[in-house]
Amino acid sequence: MSTPALELSGLKKSFGKAEIIRGIDLSIGKAERHAIIGPNGAGKSTLFNLITARFPATAGTVKLHGENLAGLEPYQINRKGLSRSFQITNIFPAMTVFENVRCALLWAQGYRYSFWDLVNRKRDLTEGAEAILDQINLLERRNLPAGTLSYAEQRALEIGITIAGGADVIMLDEPTAGMSHSETDYITDLIMKVTEGKTLVMVEHDMGVVFGLADRISVLVYGEIIATGKPEDVRGDPKVQEAYLGAALEAEH
Amino acid sequence: MTDQLTTDPSKPAQRMRAGSMTLTLAPWIIAAVAMMVMPLVFTNNSALTIMNQMSITIIFALAYNMLLGQGGMLSFGHAVYAGVGGFACMHIMNMSDFFESIPLVILPVFGGLFGMGLALIVGSFSTRSAGTVFAMISLGVGELIAACSVIIVAFFGGEEGISGDRTYAQPFFGVEFLQQIEVYYLTAAWVIISAALMYLWSRTPVGRMANAVRDNPERAEFLGYSARWVRYYSFVASGFFAGVAGGLFAINYEILTEENLNTASSGVILLVTFLGGVGFFFGPIIGAIAFTLLQTVLSLSTELWAFYAGTLFLATVMFFPGGLAGLIMMHVPAFKLGKASQLIVPYLKTLLPGAIGLLGAAALVEMTFHFRHAATGDDEMTIFWTTFNSHDVLPWIIAGAITLIGLGIARATAPSLKDAWNEANTAGGAS
Repeated sequence: MSTPALELSGLKKSFGKAEIIRGIDLSIGKAERHAIIGPNGAGKSTLFNLITARFPATAGTVKLHGENLAGLEPYQINRKGLSRSFQITNIFPAMTVFENVRCALLWAQGYRYSFWDLVNRKRDLTEGAEAILDQINLLERRNLPAGTLSYAEQRALEIGITIAGGADVIMLDEPTAGMSHSETDYITDLIMKVTEGKTLVMVEHDMGVVFGLADRISVLVYGEIIATGKPEDVRGDPKVQEAYLGAALEAEH
Repeated sequence: MTDQLTTDPSKPAQRMRAGSMTLTLAPWIIAAVAMMVMPLVFTNNSALTIMNQMSITIIFALAYNMLLGQGGMLSFGHAVYAGVGGFACMHIMNMSDFFESIPLVILPVFGGLFGMGLALIVGSFSTRSAGTVFAMISLGVGELIAACSVIIVAFFGGEEGISGDRTYAQPFFGVEFLQQIEVYYLTAAWVIISAALMYLWSRTPVGRMANAVRDNPERAEFLGYSARWVRYYSFVASGFFAGVAGGLFAINYEILTEENLNTASSGVILLVTFLGGVGFFFGPIIGAIAFTLLQTVLSLSTELWAFYAGTLFLATVMFFPGGLAGLIMMHVPAFKLGKASQLIVPYLKTLLPGAIGLLGAAALVEMTFHFRHAATGDDEMTIFWTTFNSHDVLPWIIAGAITLIGLGIARATAPSLKDAWNEANTAGGAS
């Protein structure tokens, strides 16, 4: 197997005396769609925040394409090709939908801290943003302030912002939380479409979404991964059944 | 000057681009022509002085809004950068032996460079975060440098400040800048250039990201941008244009004192910018014009002008957080629907009595002031072209009645204005 896209080893995090993440080893291959599931409070979001350096880890390493991310700032990690969304919708509400996506393109298109290029004159930005908006079906809403979109649309916009920079590792934190059935189906299809050929790491509660999207699943319980594998293996694992999945699957039906 | 991209897929791209170009350029051309014509309309020197002050305030307020409106940084000490730029220009003027070859017309650039230099230093630690920390650092640095003005006398000139002579340099194509009108055109040219540059700045990648960082710094970091660096760039650019404003101040008044960089001046520019509206690029321009008029014209007729300016500021913060620019832009939807004319009559019905009521209230304020502060025996006062004795009861009754009736009518007609407003902002409808 070639270098994994994302490799966690011995990752730990404590807040004071409480150990939230208790030693995680996980390897996610290129172009794999990987879902992390687990009960509330298992540390899924904390794990996300450790990977993206929102919090410093207490111990252990995170490697992106074999490169250690220790000591890097979030923006530096992003520049190395990792992009994420947030559990709580995290867009630029006062800016237009178009502007949201265009800003997400700037760094990747090489504009950096330029104060001599005029963004309105740049075809690559305009066309790039329009292409993304087309993918997330928000082209007609382009001139609205992003804060006025519906919840599902804001989530779709957030996915658009997350993928716009062209990162090859995409992390989505509960992309379908709080959505209706039809909205969930819509977002699932969208994720399927926009992460084609990319590595996806996703925290998700909706088992329908997880089993529909993921190539592999990891089950996180009390800061430890108790099982990792293909959806059907994980589903059949008695440990998982006992700890979490049985109850969750029952709740689904 | 809004962010709207006028794209219509049915039109050819070329035409669309040409169309939006003229649309973008139109306000600038109108502004430039207006500034050229103004001295022909208002010919006396005091009007020129007011307009110069307005121009300087416009540049300063626009620079300030690069921080507040576009970057989400609330500064309580921005006068420092304008002041330092101004002092530097004054020293250049006073060292004419060395700097004779620098024409006066480009002197503001040096003001800008000094403002920028200071911003480079201060910004390196103050832009680490926005919010309260930034505000507190700006306040601290502001106080610090204002205090320096009485310590470092060689640069700031102590309590009496320093003065200079703008005719230090060789005449610029025969213009010596002895006349007020020559200075006016110099200042006007700088306003147009600075405003255009600041507008263009807001359209660049780093200018766009300033908005993103303002809205959501954490998300911006996951787009590959360091929020801190984005803030730092805005801060340095803002320091430059503040310094330009300071340089123009030095040229206009030929004297600078501690007052030009103290916290009170920093407070005024915050007030000006907020009054005009931080949400739109042109907001600070309107704020600067309105405030300068208040300050100069109103102060001719009443000692209490600051009281009214303060009241206006409070009213803006509480009722119209979008400022004057926000008030104007509020009407765009009604105009687009072609229903703006429906608002005229309801506006007159509410705002006219409201304004009369407020004038009545102002009369009461003036009468109270006169009653308390006029010299003994000098009981006569004049407001609104009426002379009366402020110790009589009748004027108080009349002013009180006007206030109550005016505001009462405004209040009674407000619901119908609200209905008219809703109707004018709804597409379709009966009329």
